[in-house]
Amino acid sequence: MSHFVNLSLNGISSGMIYASVALGLVLVWRATRIINFAQGSMAMFSTYMAVTLLDRNLGYWEAFAVALAVGLALGAVVERTLIRPLQGKPELNPVIVTFGLFILLEGVAGAIFGVRSRGVPAAFSQSGLTIGHHRVSFSHFDLFVLGSVLALMVLMLVLFRATDVGLRMRASAFAPEMSRLVGVRVGRVLTLGWALASLAGSLAGLLVAPRSAFSPNYMDLILVYAFTAAVVGGLESPVGALVGGLLTGLVLSFVGGYLGSSLEPLGAAVILILVLSARPEGLFSRPAARQV
Amino acid sequence: MRMRSSRSRRAGAMTAVVSAVAMLGAACGSSSSASTRGVTSSTITIGATVPLTGPAAPGYSEIAPAVNAVFKWVNAHGGVYGRKIHYIYLDDAYNPSTTVTKVRQLVLQDKILAEVGGLGTPPQTAVQGYLNTQKVPQLFVESGCTCWSDAKYPYSFGWQPNYTVEGKILGQYIKQHFAGEKVGYLFQADDFGEGFVKGLDQEIPASQVVSRQSYDAATLAGPLSNQIAALKSAGAQVVAMATIPAATALALLPAASIGYFPQYVVSSVGADPPTVGPLLSSFSKGKAGSVLLNGMISNAYLPPEADTGNPWIQVTQKLLKQYDVGAPLDGNTEFGVALGYTFVQALQTAGKHLTTSSLMDAIEKHGADFITPGLVPLTYSTTDHYGYSGSEVVKTENGATAPVSPVYVTSNTGPITLYTGTPSQPPSNLASTA
Repeated sequence: MSHFVNLSLNGISSGMIYASVALGLVLVWRATRIINFAQGSMAMFSTYMAVTLLDRNLGYWEAFAVALAVGLALGAVVERTLIRPLQGKPELNPVIVTFGLFILLEGVAGAIFGVRSRGVPAAFSQSGLTIGHHRVSFSHFDLFVLGSVLALMVLMLVLFRATDVGLRMRASAFAPEMSRLVGVRVGRVLTLGWALASLAGSLAGLLVAPRSAFSPNYMDLILVYAFTAAVVGGLESPVGALVGGLLTGLVLSFVGGYLGSSLEPLGAAVILILVLSARPEGLFSRPAARQV
Repeated sequence: MRMRSSRSRRAGAMTAVVSAVAMLGAACGSSSSASTRGVTSSTITIGATVPLTGPAAPGYSEIAPAVNAVFKWVNAHGGVYGRKIHYIYLDDAYNPSTTVTKVRQLVLQDKILAEVGGLGTPPQTAVQGYLNTQKVPQLFVESGCTCWSDAKYPYSFGWQPNYTVEGKILGQYIKQHFAGEKVGYLFQADDFGEGFVKGLDQEIPASQVVSRQSYDAATLAGPLSNQIAALKSAGAQVVAMATIPAATALALLPAASIGYFPQYVVSSVGADPPTVGPLLSSFSKGKAGSVLLNGMISNAYLPPEADTGNPWIQVTQKLLKQYDVGAPLDGNTEFGVALGYTFVQALQTAGKHLTTSSLMDAIEKHGADFITPGLVPLTYSTTDHYGYSGSEVVKTENGATAPVSPVYVTSNTGPITLYTGTPSQPPSNLASTA
């Protein structure tokens, strides 16, 4: 029983992280219909900024804030300089560009910060909490993971649903031409979408780092599982990213815990096949309107 | 128009003559040096592929520069029989398909005499067949796979103790010191982990083993929480691990977080405190994480790097300081220097007339007499291409290891016996000029 509980808790914690990266993928997809393969390495880059500052004895939360700001700026810069010129070009171009950016960022990070793995301090204790008489596999740090990702989700939801900016973002995503006609500066809105996506990624990067062998490629596998989460959730919906992330985290944890860790990637593939054969649009997307 | 065509015809004829002469020259050149690929009167060219980037790079990326430090020292003192050693090491990121391309490049383009110190079981097994059919020696592979001593591949040689030998010696220690306690395994799901487990199983009674957990090196990203949860719930009091350094850290972290502190017994591959310690700093909020390593049992076939009174450690330190500037003295660089020094002796023994076969003969016939920092001698012979065949058991305290057992020697299936020889001393020329 305690094994089951621990596996569930591990799954929830890693699921929240997949959800955060998946949220970034969803935001980019909604804004520009692009899968951003560099999502993980952009997060890696901003996290390295935080770690460098920590090494220079800056306070943890200051470094944390700087990383999020770097993430935000990096997203905006990438959209303006690399993605904008691709508008109206063949669909393969953004795939190549984001994939190239992924390789470039990891290479540059390796050149600047070195490829050697290292540890990264965590914001809170990683010692498991004691519930009743049992020490469970869930720490203050896990609570922080859960809380910060949920907070980000709520903020995004409020932004989309309750503000003018959110309305413009949704309008530009669904009908860019129309939005332009009614005076929305679509370009700026797209930049903002990328910036927010990159911010979500940065948060995930900071949360993953203390529990990884931190090196320039530490986000690679996370991105694969986050992609699973985003597709399962329907690629359109932030709530879908959250549910997809949790589902992926839990299933992978159970597969790893009961069947063996080498089957985890296979587990991700099975989730994708099952969900997509039952609901090809993913769990949370609106059914596509068909013209009759 | 006509002018142009006749000129170009003449130019064509010229080219033909020139290239014929060039070919003749090339033919003469190759017949006059008659000789062995990679060897000239003033140089010896060798190569290797190693991970300088990617998941296996942490720690392991330090090895090749440390091997090269020995060659730089040799070159600075006139080379071997006047030949300077030129060592080309290329990054394969531990990806076998890259290894294949890079090793072909080394053989066909750089024309290496031998591969020396190629790293990793999966990458190096991918080129074992190629190197053997090309008759290019694959020397001192940095892997403890039992596959390097195989009559089918006469050009391959291992160097470090194979994983089964390591597993046996640590298994015997568990049997003797933790009798009756529940034992769990955590191992990498490949030849490394499986070879190690084969050795453990020869020594530890099957009834004592309560859980067998593995992980996949290719998908190693986050903490091994699930494996640790399983070991804890099976009640394992001793956890025997065949893990690379990053995996050791990613197992100790989640275990500490759930208050699970079993006796760890870890293969030398993933137990080097200076390599693993920094990976654990997240647990103690940035302070040295090596406190989690206290009490860890492992095995060693080279002197502990913290034993600064040991003459081999002193020599290694001096070599690194001068020829591999900025590199730390840790298990990886110590390994590199010892391996490089082994190869230099093979060259010296092969003599002035260096060929592939004189090099192989030197190792097979005289390898067992090479003087190396190893705690046991190398075992090379015409039928044995393994290398070191034993080690001592060590314990980690405060970031340093110290022996807790005598030195043992054994083979894949034979009995484990005490090694009674005395430790070697660095030759005076090395000690004085390094």
